[in-house]
Amino acid sequence: MILSRPFLLLLLFLGLIVSFKSGVFDPDKWVLTTQCTLKVNGSTNVNKFSCVIPEYSQPDTLVFYKGNKNEPMKITGSMALDIKRFDCGNAMMTSDLRKTLKAKIYPKIIINFLSLSRYPDLSSKEGAIKGTVTIELAGTVKRFDVDYKYARSGDKNLRLIGTKQVNFSDFNIDPPRRLGGMIKTNNELNVEFMLNLKNLN
Amino acid sequence: MKKIIFPGLIVGVILFILSYGSLYIGIRFFPNLFVDYNNPLFNSNGDRDVLFYMHAFVISIALSWFWDRFKGMFRGYFMLRGLEFGFVYAMVSLLPVMWITFSSIDISAYMVLSWFLYGFVQAIIAGIFFAKFNP
Repeated sequence: MILSRPFLLLLLFLGLIVSFKSGVFDPDKWVLTTQCTLKVNGSTNVNKFSCVIPEYSQPDTLVFYKGNKNEPMKITGSMALDIKRFDCGNAMMTSDLRKTLKAKIYPKIIINFLSLSRYPDLSSKEGAIKGTVTIELAGTVKRFDVDYKYARSGDKNLRLIGTKQVNFSDFNIDPPRRLGGMIKTNNELNVEFMLNLKNLN
Repeated sequence: MKKIIFPGLIVGVILFILSYGSLYIGIRFFPNLFVDYNNPLFNSNGDRDVLFYMHAFVISIALSWFWDRFKGMFRGYFMLRGLEFGFVYAMVSLLPVMWITFSSIDISAYMVLSWFLYGFVQAIIAGIFFAKFNP
């Protein structure tokens, strides 16, 4: 009886930890389904370009750690996209973008999801939240705040659309310039990634 | 040598202003004509910009030598001599080079034609000034 008291205390302690973990930081698993896309919009002084990776179908999982409603919610998970799969609708532009992003040396663009400002309100059809990600491109990792729009589709599906303006210089990439700098690519790029998520819980 | 270098440098300055000025105006007012230059075939990191802008002087000094060597073959009014000089340069040098460029590199016929006309006009302008400076 004397020996069982510490054991009971240990059980109580473990029980508290388990209830705390499941109640406050309840992990919510979402798998990235097909039709996730990444779009990059940019411009030069002679034209605009829009390049897209049209389908990302690797079954990566995002885990949302639901916590206090007012605090940012931690996420784990990432997506790694092949730069070779960018399509700018024009073979020359596509090839040019791959060269600019140093696809031969750094073939992947990796988006690592870090947090959301709150858990998406699944009772409403759509809404907006903020979040943070890191983007790894051309060997440089940079952290960004991202604006998300979300839309619920069906009971267990969620579409998250994240947008962010980044600069070539954020990743130590010199924007391409041609004919002695008379044709210049602007430093700004608008990145939009669309995530189609299916709840696994 | 003085008859080659001095007119060559003056014409180089003239071609520099006219060539890059017209290129700048062309890009500014007719940007669609330059979209094809977004192509990995063209140097894009700026490390050869100096060479690009030296082209006006390279062509002017080369043409100055060519003029000094064969100017006796171009007769008549100085404008006509310049025109014929430009035509000869275009036929002897530009046409074969543009031909092999178009046949071997994946660029548009429009782009090659624009380079041909660009070089042709440069040679005519150079010829006209050479006919004045080094008759």
